Amino acid sequence: MKRQRTKLVKMNVLPQAILQSPREHPRFLQRTACPLSDFARIHLIKDKDGIDDYLAKNIKGLSKQEAAAHRNSYKKNICIDMLRQGYHESFSELFALIQKWNALREAAGPGSAIWQQKSLEEQPEKLEQLHHFLTRAEAAGRAGHYEKMYDNQLNLAYCFNDPEEKWLSNYFYEQCFNTAKLVKIDGGKREAQAHANMGLISEEQGNVMKAAKHYEAFYQLTDGLPWKDETGHTYYSLACKHLWRIYTLLADKMLENKEHQQAINMLRKALEIAKKGGDMKTEGEAAYCLSLAYDFAGEQERALSILNTSVKIFTALSDSSGLGRAYAAMAKILVSQGKADETVTCLGDFMKAAENAHLSQSQVDARVLLGNIYNERGNYNEAFEYTSQAFEAAKALNNLPSVGETKTYRGIVEAHKLMVAFKSHIEAEDPISLKYLLEWKENKSDMCTDPLTVELDKETSASKPL
Amino acid sequence: MDVASSTAQGFILAGKHKEAIPAAFHALRFGSAVFGPRSAQLVPAYLLLAEASTGAGDLRRAERYLAQAQWMVLGAPGCGAVRSRLQRGLGQLRVAEGNLEQALHHLAYDVYLASSTFGPRSLEAAMGYFHMANVFFRQNKMDIANSLYAKVTSLWCDRLLSAVQAQERELRSRSDMSPFTEDEDVTEQQLTEAQRAEGTRVLSAMLEIRSQARKPELGEMARVLHGLAMLHYLGLDLPAAGEMGLKALELVKQLPQQESLEPITRLLRLINSTPSHTK
Repeated sequence: MKRQRTKLVKMNVLPQAILQSPREHPRFLQRTACPLSDFARIHLIKDKDGIDDYLAKNIKGLSKQEAAAHRNSYKKNICIDMLRQGYHESFSELFALIQKWNALREAAGPGSAIWQQKSLEEQPEKLEQLHHFLTRAEAAGRAGHYEKMYDNQLNLAYCFNDPEEKWLSNYFYEQCFNTAKLVKIDGGKREAQAHANMGLISEEQGNVMKAAKHYEAFYQLTDGLPWKDETGHTYYSLACKHLWRIYTLLADKMLENKEHQQAINMLRKALEIAKKGGDMKTEGEAAYCLSLAYDFAGEQERALSILNTSVKIFTALSDSSGLGRAYAAMAKILVSQGKADETVTCLGDFMKAAENAHLSQSQVDARVLLGNIYNERGNYNEAFEYTSQAFEAAKALNNLPSVGETKTYRGIVEAHKLMVAFKSHIEAEDPISLKYLLEWKENKSDMCTDPLTVELDKETSASKPL
Repeated sequence: MDVASSTAQGFILAGKHKEAIPAAFHALRFGSAVFGPRSAQLVPAYLLLAEASTGAGDLRRAERYLAQAQWMVLGAPGCGAVRSRLQRGLGQLRVAEGNLEQALHHLAYDVYLASSTFGPRSLEAAMGYFHMANVFFRQNKMDIANSLYAKVTSLWCDRLLSAVQAQERELRSRSDMSPFTEDEDVTEQQLTEAQRAEGTRVLSAMLEIRSQARKPELGEMARVLHGLAMLHYLGLDLPAAGEMGLKALELVKQLPQQESLEPITRLLRLINSTPSHTK
């Protein structure tokens, strides 16, 4: 079954990568199958003769008019059927939804995704589902069984999974939310579910504050309770994850506005929540984000100590991407403090740890970081050594973006190395050096051989006495 | 034909079905002289005759008129308004015969057609809902009947509220000596005399039902009274409007969850500020 994924809210300061976990509406309910009625089966037979045939065979004693009614629009039949049984609210709802669908279709115009799709009234399966669950919800609501009403509405929210049907599923999530407030017998379970779903919808619509309110309610309603969703996750752990993410988003906005202290407070709250949720990965990311905020605020020592926590967690999880980011942040802070040796030691630790844990990508990352440090310090030979190793390792991994990246780093270092030799020949001001320079200049225009490497070999041997 | 039709309509609304029959018959005669005996334009006249006959208890005759109307409609399938009224007529006939299930089918079709033609919140749809509610009431399915009556009330009240607001706007622009004599919006919102009469009949019937219920729902009763007050106000029967409005206000004040008093107090202010000699 297709599941909807909500779009990500963009982060501008903190790295987007930490929010990459999929955000789909959790399954709180086993979907109830909606049995296909005779009505629907008849309408699924496309041609007129087929219908008449079916009718003659399956429904005995059907008059001509009744048969005609079956051939009539399915929407009409469903509407009249609902009304006849007294489900007038279902009728009003269905009628309004069909009108809205058509209006959206008109507004989107030809060529749009919704235009390609048939209108709702031409999709008997969907009408059948709406008929089935709407009328059950209405009957339950009229009898005061709001929990059943909610379950039927939730089933409807699960019915519409295509992107162009998203508004429909959101509409039913909203109905669920309204109904859930009336349910008094389940200890707030359905209300909690409804808050989770509304939070996701608000978040997707970019309304982060509103989403935070919903997730907070979700969190409070599930604290200490054993409820689990259909995939076995506790509601509480879900709530922690959502709340952590939304607090991180809020903190990102604060960092963007240079409100460092508020951001730190928010991210500390996020870290607390992440710990309570019991998901190590989230906790590692939460610690990492907090350390970045400390760094922005100029509190480097605190940043480093939190980064250590983050590194420990990511090492335990063998999480390459987390480790790469955490060590990069550490190296950046140490460099800014002028602690060059400590930086190299720290990255050396990273490399060793990566080797011990057989984390191939981390081995690449560590060498890139080391190469860059040596490059910045002007130790181009060491830098060349590490970036070359990184390039080879990336090739072995067959990770194309990484291959490109490491190749670029190696190229930069190579150019720097060449600069040194070039400069020494210029400064020497003797005929031999001049000859070298001329030869290199000529070769450079030669596209068949690689003048840089040719020259490089000569130059390195020539510059050895220096 | 129009005069005869509205006379017949008036008799029917007043419950004098027997008196309505000759008037409706005249409408049919004039109509067939103007449009020819087989024209689809005669359908409304047949429907009036049928309604009057049903009301007068002459079901066989009603059946015949409806069959005639049905036949003519088949020839001109486009018009949702007429088809909706035909289904309503058939529904009323089945009710009179006591065939409630079939009646519901026709009335449901009526609501569907009216919603498609005039909109799901139109007074035409409300009419169908009202007849359906009466059938469920007779079947003793009180929960369905009550929720349908509530829907009818809300449809009428919404419509009346916009009519009153339009009237209010017009009064204000008149007092401002505005050069605009007829605001288009106002005429669009105004109700015809027949609609007002129908509204009075429907809302009064619901008030009766609500007040006879074992546990009268005060909120619903207040809404019905508010609707009636608005109707009387629009019909310029200010004393009656004031009386209904005050009753509605009293009821709302008794409700545990206070609903907004604003629309009712606003109406009462409007009633008091209108000079009573305009009648």
